Amino acid sequence: MNHYEVLAPELVLLGLAFALVTLELLFPQLRKDLVAYLTAASAIGVLVASAFFANRSDSFKDLIQLDNYTTFFRILFLGTAALLAIASAHLVRDKLSNAGEYYGLLLLGVIGATYMAAASELLTAYIALELLNFTLYVLVSFDRKDPRSGEAGLKYILLSAFASALLLFGISFIFGVTGTTSYAGIRHALEAGIGEYRGTLVVGLVLLLTGLGFKVAAVPFHMWTPDAYEGAPLPVTAYISIVAKAAGFALFLRLFSQAFMPVISDWRWMVALLAALTMVFGNLIALQQVNIKRLLAYSSISQVGYMLIAIAALSHDSATALLLHLGGYAITNLAAFIAIIAFYNATGGEEIRDFRGLAERHAGLAMTLTIALFSLAGMPLFAGFMTKFILFQAAAQHGLLWLSAFGVVTSMISLYYYLMVIRQMYVLKPRDGDGRLRVPLLTSAVLVVLALGIFFVGIWPTPLFRAAASATRLLF
Amino acid sequence: MIPLDQVLVFSGILFALGVYGVLTRRNAIAILMSVELMLTAVNTNFIAFGVFHRPSLAVGLVFAVFVITVAAAEVGLALAIILRIYRQRTTANVDEVDILKW
Repeated sequence: MNHYEVLAPELVLLGLAFALVTLELLFPQLRKDLVAYLTAASAIGVLVASAFFANRSDSFKDLIQLDNYTTFFRILFLGTAALLAIASAHLVRDKLSNAGEYYGLLLLGVIGATYMAAASELLTAYIALELLNFTLYVLVSFDRKDPRSGEAGLKYILLSAFASALLLFGISFIFGVTGTTSYAGIRHALEAGIGEYRGTLVVGLVLLLTGLGFKVAAVPFHMWTPDAYEGAPLPVTAYISIVAKAAGFALFLRLFSQAFMPVISDWRWMVALLAALTMVFGNLIALQQVNIKRLLAYSSISQVGYMLIAIAALSHDSATALLLHLGGYAITNLAAFIAIIAFYNATGGEEIRDFRGLAERHAGLAMTLTIALFSLAGMPLFAGFMTKFILFQAAAQHGLLWLSAFGVVTSMISLYYYLMVIRQMYVLKPRDGDGRLRVPLLTSAVLVVLALGIFFVGIWPTPLFRAAASATRLLF
Repeated sequence: MIPLDQVLVFSGILFALGVYGVLTRRNAIAILMSVELMLTAVNTNFIAFGVFHRPSLAVGLVFAVFVITVAAAEVGLALAIILRIYRQRTTANVDEVDILKW
């Protein structure tokens, strides 16, 4: 048996991606927002189909693992892609050319992201990582008219290629020490003992962590993040901050829990150090941002810090907490970005001062953005509080109380810059001539659902927690 | 046969040269070439380890083949982006591409 059905959802997605490109190529007069809704429909279709894989365990030649972990991320990525396709509809129609390619790449990126979560062998993981990254390079530099877009793409591809080389050099040493590239094989080799090659292994781990640190944007390897976020078209920024980040952590978590558990004492301090640096610098640099995309870039960097805590405290509890946090983070960030996209479509502004008096110009939009920002800051009742609380608690229970304390203090700092945006929207009056804004009905509906989702996770996280717990059970 | 540690020293030097190039060169194409140098060091490592470990299993060689393929695709993409920047501003120097705060 070749178990090709394990790959079925991605094969279908691949077909759909090519179909979208061809469709736009054959019928150039087709309404561009229609392509967006087709993309969303295909992503949701595949999402529903892959939900039937729940509680199944299988693998494709020990390269691609199908389990609840894979299914969890599949659903997360497909749902995000579907919502972002809907949110892109107007922006892509008005500002970008080649809509078919844009939406095709959006779906191709999901394939890469899913296989990053599903890979159980280093070469497969690397190829999946590059598949996601390649689609991102193109998407980031998609806006031909905006010189910032090309510049962001250039910086992203150069730094990311550099990071890939570091990552690969690290992998080569790990392969050299253990003689295998499969996660399970590495674990066996490490459990059997590697004697005098411990130093080589540590060099490999340092390089591997540097490479992965670049990909998930941990300080001090975060330099590309703010530029790529600011230069990219808004929906792509959202895509990087949710899908690429979650996929990076999916790979990180599976690799370190399945392969490197036996040598946890060698790498735990490195991850803890990265987490502490990321939390502190991400939050401090965010304080002085004036562009909303850059602000969210640094906000997402600081979220990476919180997520790294879970890796440093690696155990079933903290892995579950990480998945829960990623789920809450995805919903929250989607709400924030879709609100900003709606604002940008209506006004064309993306500086924080452009948000002046938004509460009077469109109460619903201001309310959704406020809910999302409060959730990112970790206020009680919102998703961010609950998921961070469970995360910090899991870390404290596994001997990293100091890191949790760092997390709590830096969360307090983060409240300041989120409140600056909220102040612009609620306290200040709109400038003269700024009238009311119009938001399309579908976008409003999506925003309402997401805002409710934030409260749902914040008040009753049990269903998501159960899903996350069953997803991480097989990792350990 | 060349001993393994000599090959590793060679690939280490190659890799260090690549890192040095990435950090000091300001021309986007030169940076890209330095990254390629780093990837060559990676391939040397994989082939050396693969041959010394288990020559019957071609894991290391297969890994190297894939790295070469992916690197080729990466260069294609990067050159396309650099070309576009060059057309817009007639420069491929990363210090002069500075609308965004670097």
